Amino acid sequence: MSVPSVEHKPHHHIRTESLPGDTLKPRVVLVGNPNVGKSVVFNYLSGLYVDVSNFPGTTVEVAKASYLQYDLFDTPGVYGVSSFNDEERVARDIILNADIIVNIVDAVHLERDLFLTQQLIDMGKRVCVIVNMIDEARKQKLAVDLATLEEELDVPVLGTVAIRKEGLDGIHALITRAREGRQREALHAELHRMLSVVGSQAEALLVLEGDPIIAARHGIAASDAAHREEIYIDRRNRVNRIVHHVVKDVQTRKLLSTRIGRASVSPWFGFPILAFVLYLVYLFVGVFVAQDVVGITEGDIGKGIVEFHIKEFIAAHAAVTVTATLLDDDDEVIEERAERFANGVKGEADRWRSMRAWVAERPAEYDFAFENPWLVLFFGEFGAVTMTLTYLVFLLLPLVLGFYFALSILEDSGYLPRLATLVDRTLRFVGLNGRAVIPLILGFGCVTMATITTRLLGTQREKTIATTILQLAIPCSAQLGVIAALLATAGVQATLIYTGVIFAFLVLVGTIMNRSLPGEISPLLIDLPAMRLPQLNNVMKKTGFKTWFFMKEASPWFFIGALAVSILQVTGALVHIMDALQPLVTGWLQLPREAATAFVMGLVRRDFGAAGLYDLSLSPYQTVAALVTITLFVPCVASLMVMLKERGLHEGMIIWVGSLVLAIGIGGVVSQVLL
Amino acid sequence: MMLNHLAKGLRARITALPDGEIRSQFIRLGLVEGAEVRCMDRLPGGTIIVEFCRQEIALSGELAASIAIDQL
Repeated sequence: MSVPSVEHKPHHHIRTESLPGDTLKPRVVLVGNPNVGKSVVFNYLSGLYVDVSNFPGTTVEVAKASYLQYDLFDTPGVYGVSSFNDEERVARDIILNADIIVNIVDAVHLERDLFLTQQLIDMGKRVCVIVNMIDEARKQKLAVDLATLEEELDVPVLGTVAIRKEGLDGIHALITRAREGRQREALHAELHRMLSVVGSQAEALLVLEGDPIIAARHGIAASDAAHREEIYIDRRNRVNRIVHHVVKDVQTRKLLSTRIGRASVSPWFGFPILAFVLYLVYLFVGVFVAQDVVGITEGDIGKGIVEFHIKEFIAAHAAVTVTATLLDDDDEVIEERAERFANGVKGEADRWRSMRAWVAERPAEYDFAFENPWLVLFFGEFGAVTMTLTYLVFLLLPLVLGFYFALSILEDSGYLPRLATLVDRTLRFVGLNGRAVIPLILGFGCVTMATITTRLLGTQREKTIATTILQLAIPCSAQLGVIAALLATAGVQATLIYTGVIFAFLVLVGTIMNRSLPGEISPLLIDLPAMRLPQLNNVMKKTGFKTWFFMKEASPWFFIGALAVSILQVTGALVHIMDALQPLVTGWLQLPREAATAFVMGLVRRDFGAAGLYDLSLSPYQTVAALVTITLFVPCVASLMVMLKERGLHEGMIIWVGSLVLAIGIGGVVSQVLL
Repeated sequence: MMLNHLAKGLRARITALPDGEIRSQFIRLGLVEGAEVRCMDRLPGGTIIVEFCRQEIALSGELAASIAIDQL
């Protein structure tokens, strides 16, 4: 088969938009379908320093790195360039602004992947192609003729096994050879007519394919769906012809996925495997990281060493009352001693030494009550500096690392799409698609982190529903620990009522939102990649990127949240808020008046709220009412801030106020019924 | 016959796809009229897993119900 080559008129490659972290270096952009090994190639080329940021105007994360004389950009995995969802829109805009495109395809799935390749070529971009996973093709007895592929596409082609680094050293030479490939003549002619209107061949193609956003940018009407389909079908036929020439032995039909891959989406084994995987994740994150690791980092290192030394340093010459509390193995108070240092602990070093000597090596907690309000604001009980530091670095960081590590393993193994497939049916009841399972699971780790992850959902509608469910009904790991402890003393019946109420409420809210929000659930259409053993190297790097990105995004909000509460405390406003809440707490919720403190503290950190209930000696039913209120109640300030940023002020405030009203409402109803 | 009725293990040829954006998505994946698919598994609730061109995809029952096939 021969495709006539077309005479090339000069094309205009204009750089219309700026990308995050823009420099004047040539832009190399990695493009590929999901699960083709794009992240492995990106990690190989990028080295250590990667800049992850939001693409302007969206919440899609884009990674950028410096690679030799180029700026290297990663793009979200897409099956084609168009505007079907947020990720495609971002990929499209990065591609439009690319100087050179490195397209990564899967040797086993060339029929699917070359569609994108041909589209990139049709856009008139300088393209080179990496055919990855050629080992897998060999294993499946597929002969992939790279020379013929190069000839057919008329762009340079390189075969690699990215996870084993085979062939990756050829990428630099490949990039220098990148060129405009071969287009069908009729399309090329049509493109050149449109070119005079929009100025770049890439945009001309997207307008012809009916992209409404690109058309609007040039103030013209996009082609209709029929025209897009004509181009798509034509491209599909061309790709199938190419694959027919390039891939031999296609006729040997074989069962391709591994036994585990098959079993994990079968009705009989799928759900037990799902339960087992979730249990492993729980053991790793919920038990090992959340309890063992955080116990050491937060308690011993964070509070015991770092916070203590900061406060001791600040208290050197400032008036302060130090309370040392001796604790036994169960954290019960044995003895307490408070002393006032009018000139600071350095100023009265002898007394300070004798106080330390009294504590000696016994386990103890120190409380520094500063007299200067500014010091209280930043270093006091809820000091913005000390609390943010302990919380972020010693509690949240290990948790987030743990969760992203588990998530990266699930992602790289190819299990995530299978998980989404299994739970799709169930999640449709609450108006979500199977993909929403990821943020919902992450929510049990940290609701703030999970709220950021709702970005991967396809539509605004799903993002709204998932965010609402997260903020309302999913308790984070910090809170879960305290809830579990309280329920353990309250008994089986109380536990069942609590779980029942929260679950029923989750389903109810999801169902109501599903019915009332305009739009429909996007249908499940998901590619199940072959299951693979994840590469530790890649998993670590992914975990690192994601964690860094989260900390960068969320840290300021944790600080601002802590500062706000600290200001409320120093100014005395906190007391007034608690007083104002009294009637609701004692009358409607039928709880002791001190519970108001617990609820307000829940604003700072969700677990503070639940922890405040420990000392109230509640009856089992009071515990249920209090826990229902606390669970549905506002999540911590950081998650509120992140939600406002993700969902916008208007929608965020509706969810927030709604959660306040519902928490007190439902908690009260539970209390009125039970007590 | 519609794809959601294809029994496990059986093969079929696609005769008609639904219109609209989802159609473009099918074309991109290589699922076009005339393509041959095989039902690998069916999950409770209608989700169906099909194999074609050495790849597996999962489709919701509703989506499968909009794809016309000829059983082979």
